[in-house]
Formats: sequence, structure tokens, C-alpha cells
Amino acid sequence: MSIRNPIRPLLFAAALALPSFSFAVATPGEPAPSFSEIDAAGNMHSLADYKGEWLVLEWFNKDCPYVRKHYGSGNMQALQKKYTEQDVNWLTVISSAKGKQGYLEPTEAITEASSHTLNASAAFLLDPDGNMGRDYGAKTTPHMFVINPEGKIVYAGAIDDNDSANPAVIPDSHNYLVAALDSAMAGQPVAAPATRAYGCSVKY
Amino acid sequence: MIRRWLKPVMLFALLLGVACQSAGATTEASGDHVKVRLLVPSQFASDQSTTVGFYFEVDPHWHVYWQNAGDSGAAPRFDITSKGAHSGAIKWPFPTRLNIEHLTNLGYQGNVAYLFEITPEAGASTVELEVNLEWLVCKVDCIPGFGQIKGAWPVADTTQWAEPDKALLDTFNARVPQAGANSPWQPNSLTATTDSASLSITGKGVAPEVFPLNGDWLGAQQPRVSQTNSGYTLRFVTQPGVSAPKTSGFVIAQEGRAWQFDSVPLNPVAPPTTAAGNSALWLLLLAAFAGGVILNLMPCVFPVLSIKVFSLMQPGVSRAERIREGLLYSAGVLTTFTLLGALLLILRAGGSAIGWGFQLQSAPVVLALAVLFWLMALSFSGVFEFGHRLMNLAGGSRGGAFATGVLAVFIAAPCTGPFMGAALGAAAVLPTLQALAIFIGLGAGLAAPFLLLSASPALLKRLPKPGPWMDTLRQLFAFPLYATVIWLLWVLGKLVGDIGWVLGTSLLLALAFTLWLARDAGRIRSLLAIVIALVAIVTAGTAIMQAEAPAPQTTSELWQSYDKTAIAEARAQGRAVFIDYTAAWCITCQVNKKLVLETDHTRALFTRHNVLAIRADWTRFDPEITAALEALGRNSLPVYAWYPAGAQQAQLLPQLLQERMINKLFDSE
Repeated sequence: MSIRNPIRPLLFAAALALPSFSFAVATPGEPAPSFSEIDAAGNMHSLADYKGEWLVLEWFNKDCPYVRKHYGSGNMQALQKKYTEQDVNWLTVISSAKGKQGYLEPTEAITEASSHTLNASAAFLLDPDGNMGRDYGAKTTPHMFVINPEGKIVYAGAIDDNDSANPAVIPDSHNYLVAALDSAMAGQPVAAPATRAYGCSVKY
Repeated sequence: MIRRWLKPVMLFALLLGVACQSAGATTEASGDHVKVRLLVPSQFASDQSTTVGFYFEVDPHWHVYWQNAGDSGAAPRFDITSKGAHSGAIKWPFPTRLNIEHLTNLGYQGNVAYLFEITPEAGASTVELEVNLEWLVCKVDCIPGFGQIKGAWPVADTTQWAEPDKALLDTFNARVPQAGANSPWQPNSLTATTDSASLSITGKGVAPEVFPLNGDWLGAQQPRVSQTNSGYTLRFVTQPGVSAPKTSGFVIAQEGRAWQFDSVPLNPVAPPTTAAGNSALWLLLLAAFAGGVILNLMPCVFPVLSIKVFSLMQPGVSRAERIREGLLYSAGVLTTFTLLGALLLILRAGGSAIGWGFQLQSAPVVLALAVLFWLMALSFSGVFEFGHRLMNLAGGSRGGAFATGVLAVFIAAPCTGPFMGAALGAAAVLPTLQALAIFIGLGAGLAAPFLLLSASPALLKRLPKPGPWMDTLRQLFAFPLYATVIWLLWVLGKLVGDIGWVLGTSLLLALAFTLWLARDAGRIRSLLAIVIALVAIVTAGTAIMQAEAPAPQTTSELWQSYDKTAIAEARAQGRAVFIDYTAAWCITCQVNKKLVLETDHTRALFTRHNVLAIRADWTRFDPEITAALEALGRNSLPVYAWYPAGAQQAQLLPQLLQERMINKLFDSE
């Protein structure tokens, strides 16, 4: 006896529709959203490549005053140097869409990387379709994420606690990223695993 | 280290065109798209505080920010040094929500004045101010600005203003939030889940705008507003991973005025009260067991079991072997039911984490249940069949008795109807262990007859033979299901208004049509049926989700809607209070209402004794009523709370009310 039954496919469709109700972004304690993006030099980087290693993600827009605050002062490059020397991987991501502020073609990105003396582990990661940025819930530049060797988010949020655009405040600011990385890498719990990122909106 | 960043800072300042003058009075500063001017009187009165301000004139389409800037941006900073006077904290006019691409900011589109108070010190003859400012002005892209404002003003008997400045100042001063105590809106609870926070406020009229002061935890997006009996509940998105602070501040704004509440405490989430369920648990277990036994008689199960049972009765099968088979079968059934129960509980935990729960208070859930029961009822009536393939599989299975037990559960699934429904309902509302017990009870009931038969084959002779009576029985069971559908549609109407049952019945009609279309049809017609059914479900589902909540029912003369303050006042005045916690989906509540509470007799009694009669309607989720129920140790309805005049404690009345119980309330007086 053959049974054609529209109900089972319907139930199946309903089951498929359910997960779309929850919108997942990178959340401390949860597995990091996967990504696969090409850097300015043409190399592919995926979350899976960094399994078993520490990874920092940083969102960047060269024309954002808050990015300038941390690059103009040398603060960001110093952090990149300090942690990449400790075998932490550091990827700086540009999610600006083509035609929007901060968008860079690969060749321009190479030039900007050298003029910014970028000390990240690779050339800028280019995410012009914004998929990676949206999956992570990157709202601002800079927006920082730390992923542990198990692939879980241990920190998401601002670089520090002072949302002034003035670089002069950096020495007196509490750097959340440093605190999170140092605690997590020492096997200690992170005191502030999530903070509100500040800066310019990511130009998706 | 310091030298390393000093140079870039200076360069940076120059690039941005910072207005910075080193000497003399300057009461203005400017940057790209912004001009800042100090609004001050020409002289200060010696014996009083004077409100002054920074007036930001912003180019069209550009904006500056509130104290909580929202998803991006930054509040302006004012570093104020004063001589001969005390200066107060910045007073922020309430903001508007600015939706900038994918983010929401809180700020001001257009000009704004940030205010503060100056109080001359006793005996001071001049007031000197030096202010370092930093601001951020944005359209989509943002430009920071820096500036310095300084000057000195005489102190005299009166404050003297240039009229236009005073007018400007007054305009923005009116927008500075007042003390929360003066507000017509009062927050009464704040609850948090992992990704949202719900603030419930009481008050009358159109919902006000509510802005969180704490942007580290609460998102700036427009909260989801739902009406309650006493006001509104606003659901804010929270920042992922940020834990909820003990208190949070809010600004409530309406019609150009605003009120500030600095610390609304977070309600602790009360653990589910187990006591409430205990009394009824044995009854539920018994019902589950009986339901399980009845399942054996269902046409989907009975034939399969008969085959199995008869195979056991063959000569040459020892009693021990039969019992072993019976036990294995029971183990299969129980394991499957336990797993199903566990799965449901896991789903429930996941559901409540994303803000479900209180299933019958959510219109889409009620609609889905109506559809489920409708399809089940149609299947029972024989409109369409499903599960037959599984049944054949189980009947012919040569696997062990354990596998038959597992399969029995699945082939029973289409027939379980009302019994599984009850178990599902229990799983949704009962504490974990009790809910699991219900499932096990159902499983035990399903397994018991087989086990019994395998132990004593003599009973076999009394067993009814499979036959047409089973179909009749199944068809009979369709009718309670149709009744359930009617009830669910009525609930839907209560939840979202008339549109609820119109949408609901239309969807049921569409589904019945597609079943007819797909019956014994070719591939194309089946496909068409699936497409129509999907379109109908999606359309009805979205419409239901968008349907506006209807205005709360107008209360009768005697019965008033739930109002915490009114209750507290009445109790303080020594008035007796009767609270009827009710909901449209609670049938017992409706029966009690009709037979006892809404009678002339009760009405007269309540009026004569000046009882404040409150109807707390929980049809839609209301955090305030939920909290009140939790305080009474209840999480299910009906609940009748009686506060005798002057009493401290509430008496709870039985769930099934009788008029004599109401009479007794007044006997003791």
C-alpha cells in the first residue's frame, strides 16, 4: 500500500524552520562561528586552521577615528606584536562592503598593512560580503574576539574601557583584551568575558 | 612610552581641526558639523543654583549622543573645573532611537543642550569655569571633536539671562528626566533570560518610550512591547554573554516629558515550586497508566501485539521464556518512553532559554497545537492514514521483543491522541522528575497487558479479537480531539482577537483541502498539496505573530483588573481582597467563574462586605502576575487568593469553587 502523505514533509519543514528563530553571534563560552575568508595576499583562513591554537580577531576600518586612536598611537600594533610573539594568532578583518568607508581592494590592503605597520599573523582578512562579520556579530571597529584552542569564544567586546576617541586616554584605560588573553592563557577564568564594543559601526 | 603616543596625539588634534584657545574667555567651540556654545546667564545669583548648558548646533542629518550611546558612537565628555562655585553632574535630555544601518544609537537628531547646575560658593564674587570637551558627531561615518570653553562671570543678587538663551535652556530642561516618583509609569519588575530582559511597567495609555541607562547589558534596539492588564511589558535584547547586573536604570519618556529610574532591581528567577504539583501527581500517574493501557486497544497497536502474543503461545515456548520476552518488551517500551520524555524536557529547556514556555500564552504555539490536534482528529476519523507502513514493519519484525517494544511506542504514536497530549502538557508545565514520571507511567500502562498475558496465558481467552470494533473506537476518539480544536481556537481568539479564530479555522480548512487533494493523487497533485499547505501554514503563522494583542477585556463593575498598588492600598485600609487568577485557556477557571464568582449571590456578598475583587488575567504572559503567583507558591491556574480584612496572609481556596466556600469566607466575621 502506497501512502502519499503531505504531513511528514510538513513536519520536517517546520523542524527545519525552527533554528532560524535564534540568531547566534559569537558569545563567550560558546563555540566560535566558523569562517573561511581570503586575506589580502590571497591565502585562505578558516576557523578549523586554528584549532589547538589561540586566535584573536580584530575588526578594522582605516578611516574610523577609533581605529586611528589605536593605530595612530601604536597601541594596536604593540598588542599584535606582544601576543603573536607568544604564538597567539591574530587576524585583522575588514568587513566594509564595496563602496563603503574602509573598503579595500587586496592591493590597497597590502599597502595599508605596511603603512599601518600591521603586526597581525596575516595580511588583512577581506570580508566584503560581511558574512564573517555578521556571523560574529561584529558591530564596531575595533571589535575584538578571543578564541581558545578548543575553538570557544573566551572574550567578545571592546578593546578597553574608555570610549574616548582621544589616544591620550589609552595609558589610563583598562585593556579588556589584555586582561582576557592573559587570564585565559594562564588557565584562569576571564573576569569580563563580554563587554560592549565601542567605535564606529561596521560598514556592511 | 608617553613620548611614543604624544606626537601622534598632537598630529591627530591638528588634523581634526580642534578649536583650542589657550588664553582669554571663550564660550564657543566648534568642529566638523558641530558648533558648541555655553548657555550661561550674564551674572549668577549668589544664593541659588542656576542651570546652565552646552548648546550643540549640529548640521542637518548629523547626530550627537545620549549618555548611553547605544550600539556604537560615544557620549560627549565634559571635564568641568570651576572656581568660586560647585558644578553639578551633566543632565541629559531624553534621547530618540536612531537606526543607523544595522545598529541602533541613542542620541539627538538636530540641536541639543546638555545641562548642568552651577551653585556659587558663599562669599564668592565671580564664578570661573574651564571645560574640556570631547564629542563625537556622526551621520553614518563619525568625526570626533575636541574643544575648550572657559570664562568668568560675576555673582550678584539676581541671575540675569539673555532671553533667547534662557528660552533654549528651558526647552531642553523640560526634556531632562524628572524623578521617577513623579512618573505616571512605574516599573514593577525586571526579569532576565540569557538573551533578553523584560521590564514590566504599570500605567495607563499608549506605551511610552523606554531607554536603558545601562548599555553594557541592554541593547539599544526598540524593545518588543506587549500589553498587560496593568500596563506593558518591554522585552529588550541583551548583549550576548554579559551577565545581568543586580539593578538597572531606565528613562521612560512620553509626550515630551521623561522620568528616570536609577535602579530597578532584577527579580530573582524563582525555582519552580514542586509542592504545587505533588498533590495531583499520583492522579496524573494513574491517568497516564490508564492511558497507556487503553493504547493497547488502538487499531495501530492491537493487531501487532496480537500477532506477538499469539506467537508466544505456541506450544514449546516455556513459561520462563515467555516472561523473559514480556519483560524485554516492557523494557523496550519504557526505555523509549523515557527517551521521548527526556527529549521533550531537553526541548523545553531549550525553548525556555529562547523565551518560550507558557505555551498557551503564545499565539503561534496555540495555533500549532490546533493544527496538530486537527490532523490527529482527521486521521482518527479515517480521512487519511498514517503510520501503517511502520505497523506492518513491526508486525512482521523478527527482531527481539525489545525491538517490538520500541516499535510499539512509535506505531502507537498516531493513535496516542488525548493521552500523549496530556503527557505533553504535563511535560511542558511540571518539574522535570514529575514530567518524566508521567511518561514512564504511560509506558508502563502500554507494556502492562502484554507482560500480564505473557505471564498467564489463561487470560488470553478473554482477550477481544481484533476487528471492526477497533475502528469504531478510534473514530469515537476523534471527537474529543475535535472538541480540543474548538477550545484551542477559542483561546486563540482570546489571545489575538477575532482574527485569531478566523486565521485558525481558515488554516484548518486549507489543510483539510490539501489532504483531500493529496489523497490517492499523482506526484503533481501531491506536490501542489504540499505547496498549498506550506503557504497556508506560513501565511497563517506570520499573520498570527503579527496580530496585535487585543485590548484587555473591560472589567465588570465589581471585578477590576490586576493592580498591585490598588491591592496594597486596599489591604492597608483594612479592606478584604479577593484575587481570581484566571486565564481564557483554563477551563476550570471559566467553570468557577460561571458557577460561583459571577453569580448575583457572590456579587451581592462581595459588595456588601466592600471586598476589592481583582481579576488577574494570565491569558497572556504577564511577569507581574507570574511573580504574584510565585509568591503564593503556585505556577498553575486556577488560584483563588483571599485576604480577609486586615489579615497579613492570603488564604488559598480550593481549585474547584463552590458557593458555600464563598459564604464561609464571611461566616467568621
